[in-house]
Amino acid sequence: MITVNGIRNAIWCAIAFGIVACASTPMPVEKLAVARTSIERAEQAQASQFAQLELDGARSKYAAAQVAADKHDALIAARLADQADVDAQLAESTARAKQQEQRVNEMDADLRDLRSESLRNSVAGAQTAQPAVPIRQ
Amino acid sequence: MKRHILAIAIAATLLGLASCETAPESDAQLAQARSAIAQAEANPNVAKFAPTELDRARKLLVNAEGVAKQQGADDATAVHYAYLATQMARISEQRAQEQVATARIKASEAERKDILLSGRGNEVHQPLEDLQAAQTPRGIVLTLNDALFDSGKAQLKSGARRSIDEIAAFLGENPGRRVQVEAFTDSDGTNDYNLELSQSRADAVAMAIIKRGIDAQRVRALGYGEEFPVAGNTSDGSRQRNRRVEIIVSNGDDAIPGRAVPGQTLAGSP
Repeated sequence: MITVNGIRNAIWCAIAFGIVACASTPMPVEKLAVARTSIERAEQAQASQFAQLELDGARSKYAAAQVAADKHDALIAARLADQADVDAQLAESTARAKQQEQRVNEMDADLRDLRSESLRNSVAGAQTAQPAVPIRQ
Repeated sequence: MKRHILAIAIAATLLGLASCETAPESDAQLAQARSAIAQAEANPNVAKFAPTELDRARKLLVNAEGVAKQQGADDATAVHYAYLATQMARISEQRAQEQVATARIKASEAERKDILLSGRGNEVHQPLEDLQAAQTPRGIVLTLNDALFDSGKAQLKSGARRSIDEIAAFLGENPGRRVQVEAFTDSDGTNDYNLELSQSRADAVAMAIIKRGIDAQRVRALGYGEEFPVAGNTSDGSRQRNRRVEIIVSNGDDAIPGRAVPGQTLAGSP
């Protein structure tokens, strides 16, 4: 049996719940700022060149997080900001790793040239150089 | 009225059944997170260079699994944490990879400097000629002579760098192979002293290889003192031949057999 009192209680409950919910989930301003910073770091690490996919993901999630925040959807905004943050971190670390790998390859090629030149010189200079079995396959 | 309530009840039941039957979205994302973490864990460089990130990934996965297990919990929350865990595991791998590459760059820079400093004139460069390789059942055995160390010392001389660079480069290109560094002395001095000296020398060579970006788990150092001589210890020349470091590179990723079996000692052993 539904009474007027019951309905009144239900309304009070709903209001109280609404207030609590609002109070416990403010707009995730900090999370948005953190994501923004991570995206900037990724951009500085040339992620647009070396980790395009990850950077694009971070940017679009950050934009969506802002839209959600504007609509006062705090939970969605927070989640999207967090995801934008890890996407940006992955973009940055991927870009850095790829650039270092590239440097390793360049240096290896450079060293190979240097070594063979140095070896030629040393063999030419050595009187009794023992034939060394090359270790490289 | 009654009929309406019944219809709603049936619809609700069907909806409930339907949502039970389809696997929640979090299952797929959780599986992805687990496999990303497993992949990061399988890479020893991650534990070495990015343990914090890997740990965060694991904690996020625990969170995600906890949420997913809760009755009536929002599946999207589990999906969210599982996604963060997946990305964090990938981040740990990339950061580790960057560190490994950085270590290799440093080693290359040092070598480059060394080559340039040693001059390109007619000077004789010893290290490459000192490196002899032989294929044996235990693996490829490289013998480095005693020019690596000063007498009684366990500190690598700068001339050893290129041999070690060569070995490290080879291991870098063959990630499935392991290496065992075995150091030997001549018979001068006490057994204990020689054993300790040879172990320190083997450690020094192993350390130098590891510093060039080779995972420590692939490198093993053993000092055998004056055991397993390759010559008679009767003359300066033979003693010099006994003072040596042998580097055994495994043929595959199998462990390198030990030396205890007499049949496996090198030719020339007494």
